[in-house]
Amino acid sequence: MSTEVIDVQGAAKSYRTPAGEFPALRGVDLSVAPGEFVAVTGRSGSGKSTLLNLLAGIDRPTSGRIRVAGTEVHTLPESRLSSWRGRNVGMVFQFFQLLPTLTVAENVMLPMDFCATRPPRERRPRAMELLDLVGIADHADKMPSALSGGQQQRAAIARALANDPPVLLADEPTGNLDSATTDVILSMFTARAAAGTAIVMVTHERDLSGWAHRQVHLADGRVVAEAAR
Amino acid sequence: MSRPRYTKVWRDLRRAGGRIVLMTTAVAVSLIAVGAMLTARTVATREAAAEYAATRPASATLDVAGGVGRALLDQVRARPGIADAAARQTVTARVRVGDAWRKMLLFVVDADDPLRIARFDVERGAWPPPADGIMLERSALAVLGGGDAVNVTASNGRTGRFAVTGVVHDAALAPASQERTGYGYLTPAGLARLGLTPEPDRLKLVVAGDQSTVDARARETAEWLTAGGHTVHGVSAPPIGRHPHQSQVDSVTLLFLGFAAAALLLAAVVVATTLGGMLAQQTRQIGVLKTLGATTAQILGTYLLLVLAVGAAALAMAAAPSVLAGVALTGLLSDMLNLDIADTSVPGWVFAALAAAGLGTPLLVALVPLTRAARTTVRAALDHRGVASGTAKRPIRVPGGNRLLALAVGNALRRRGRLVLTVALLTAGGALFTGGLNTANAWETWVHDGMARRAYDAEIVLARSSPADRVTGPLRGVAGVTSVEPLDARPAVPVGGGRVEVARTYPDGGHGALSLVALPAGSRMTDFEVLRGRALREGDRGVTVLNQGAATRFGDPAPGERVTLRVEGKDVTLQVVGVVAEVGGPAAAYTPADAAAAVASAVRLVYGDPGTLGRAEQALAAAGIPVQTVIPTEELRTAVDGHVLILIRTLVVLAGLMALVGALGLASAMGIAVTERTREFGVMQTIGATARTVRLTLILEGLAIGLAGSLLALIAGVPLAAYVGDLLGVLSFGLPLPLDLSLTGMAGWTALGLAAAAAATSVAARRASRLTVKDTLTYE
Repeated sequence: MSTEVIDVQGAAKSYRTPAGEFPALRGVDLSVAPGEFVAVTGRSGSGKSTLLNLLAGIDRPTSGRIRVAGTEVHTLPESRLSSWRGRNVGMVFQFFQLLPTLTVAENVMLPMDFCATRPPRERRPRAMELLDLVGIADHADKMPSALSGGQQQRAAIARALANDPPVLLADEPTGNLDSATTDVILSMFTARAAAGTAIVMVTHERDLSGWAHRQVHLADGRVVAEAAR
Repeated sequence: MSRPRYTKVWRDLRRAGGRIVLMTTAVAVSLIAVGAMLTARTVATREAAAEYAATRPASATLDVAGGVGRALLDQVRARPGIADAAARQTVTARVRVGDAWRKMLLFVVDADDPLRIARFDVERGAWPPPADGIMLERSALAVLGGGDAVNVTASNGRTGRFAVTGVVHDAALAPASQERTGYGYLTPAGLARLGLTPEPDRLKLVVAGDQSTVDARARETAEWLTAGGHTVHGVSAPPIGRHPHQSQVDSVTLLFLGFAAAALLLAAVVVATTLGGMLAQQTRQIGVLKTLGATTAQILGTYLLLVLAVGAAALAMAAAPSVLAGVALTGLLSDMLNLDIADTSVPGWVFAALAAAGLGTPLLVALVPLTRAARTTVRAALDHRGVASGTAKRPIRVPGGNRLLALAVGNALRRRGRLVLTVALLTAGGALFTGGLNTANAWETWVHDGMARRAYDAEIVLARSSPADRVTGPLRGVAGVTSVEPLDARPAVPVGGGRVEVARTYPDGGHGALSLVALPAGSRMTDFEVLRGRALREGDRGVTVLNQGAATRFGDPAPGERVTLRVEGKDVTLQVVGVVAEVGGPAAAYTPADAAAAVASAVRLVYGDPGTLGRAEQALAAAGIPVQTVIPTEELRTAVDGHVLILIRTLVVLAGLMALVGALGLASAMGIAVTERTREFGVMQTIGATARTVRLTLILEGLAIGLAGSLLALIAGVPLAAYVGDLLGVLSFGLPLPLDLSLTGMAGWTALGLAAAAAATSVAARRASRLTVKDTLTYE
């Protein structure tokens, strides 16, 4: 039995476009172990976001197999995907995607609310614990718009960890941040990986050798290079 | 709060304050209409039934020639199936009010009558009045001009002065003001003062059971009386427990309720459209929520809660005003029914129905767009980039090549689904508005035209029939009289299968009555529209032309069929040659008078000077011809209008509400359009568009939508007016109203639609034009 928390085999994905069939991924294999931090790099259109979407169950592969946290994601019906995702995958976006009408703490409590992973009275303390972990506990009751980009991304990471998922998927999480803040965010991912969470981060930045355990480079929908730290 | 999803709902509500106010107002306005109509219908129907029943109206009334003595009355009471009986007398007289005469019905009741049947409430004074006293029905006070005494002129020409000793309320009678008739209550002793013989010829029966049982017992009694040597001129059994105007009120309030329900449906569409816009803005958020573990059901539940909150707020806003408006409308209806509303309490189920309508209708209508939005896949939601560029394959061209206008029209077409809904809203609101006004116009025109088909200025009803020549001779010599025509109208009842059909005539003798009217050959006093067959011709014998009321009573016979009527105890069979439309008259079968032995029970006059009428009456009096009553044609018009004017006005008010809901829908749609395109405004401004250009583009877009909605409303209003006109016309005259469009109303709606569009859009346009380029380009 595989110990990998993510196991992708021969994943291919094509899109129909007015110009015809466009292959975004062409038979990608990828395995990620618990506690491993993998950076997926590549140019725009290389297929890295498509790969992340397949891992999160946001998209379904045209062919191949996607196994995440012990579940064949591509076989799950749409009606079960959300709850599965809420419990097993934390997502971090480039533009943070905090809900603008909720405070930072409320944003972090939201996954617990939807998935009922903790009793109501424990949700706020858990949110505060996570915000403290990412260093913005003081801003818990502020609205997202009152925070800087870096602070918002920390809040987004805290939210992604709310249900303690085994997998964290990040789509260009530092793409909108300055270099100092980028370092802070990446160090958080490293720390989280050390705590046992598998992290897959999509980025167009090539040099992440100081942070990720492994770097997978995609081009034209194929893995063209793979390097371990 | 540990359930942040509900916090989100609350804050989303607050954030979209303007739109929430629009949605809530639209639902509240329509709920007020629904609640008011439901309240009015429920309370009026309940009170009418209770109060009418409290008068203990006779189940049936037999018109027995020569009257019913006490001994005979006792025998009737002892007959099987007869629960009770009373003998009364009703006499038609008239009263001079100012320069005019008013018809007066005198209800003659024995002083020792126990008043177990056909009761009336004494509101002032005491029953019985002295011989020189009379008690008036309260609705007749205004008709009779007030005063402490009335001068009643009997059909024999004798006038008696009666002191008004009291006021009664008889809930079984239609309001005097509508019938243009006075109602007086006096004893046989009082009647004798007018030189008339007290003769209780109205045998009133109380029969337990349904209508067929009542009819059967009434017929049996009539046959028993006939076998005993008495003459029964007619049998009448009005619908059990139903006030003379009850059907009219029932049907019209149902129609109004339908209009109000349509308004609620429109408001629900406003909610759905507005929510659709809000959801389009929140599509990305839905995607994010799903990545956080929110299921479709949870997201749907969250947004349904929002709709529920709007419905609940609208309900809270509407509950009290709807009941108040309903009670006020009940007051108007009670005037129409001559009722006292003793109990204005609104039954709990009305509130429950209102709550169900207020909460349920928006929920049901919003369910489809909400479900669609909640089922959006994460991928689609995260890829959402705001308003689409649309599916236009070709650039929009407008006459004159105005690019701003082309841009506005193009923008309007970008969200086709919403455009269709917005235009549909405006169309529906406008159609109901113009439909209401068209119906009101058709009513006005038809009554006007219908009255214009009566070429005479007044009808003088004689106390007793006289040879026609004897009546017309003296009148032809009266100065000012330009034309005179006699007619002979007699109460009749249809005969079917050799048996007298039971008439449905009420005690006032008007509602449900049928007459056989003999007109002179070549009569020119009326020119009723021929619906089927033909009008009477010179030389006709043994034929009849029925008006629509009579045709209904005979089961709508085709020309060529024969009908039988019983008139003063004799059966008359006539061949139907046509059916005509008569506005403002009871059911009548017209037949040619026998030229050789023409008799007149009434005479119609044409004159120029109103003073002529008085001289005409003097001429008749001088010739020894007593007058029973005088009905100026104008009075007839007032009576006809009195029956439905309130209803028409209510319809127009409801139509206004529809227009308001439609305008709110447009305002909401434009608000959404502005929010969705906020970034675009920034782009426009970076390439040189001024704030004025942005504003103008939006206003033009709103006007384009407003114009489309207005024009479609004009078209859709026509069949709606036809439908409502059918219903109102059949209720009022037994015939559908003709389609007569109100050009003023239609032009008014077009102007109103455009003005509402401009007003609704200008708020959103002003907001858009005030945004800075930075605001718009950083808008997420």
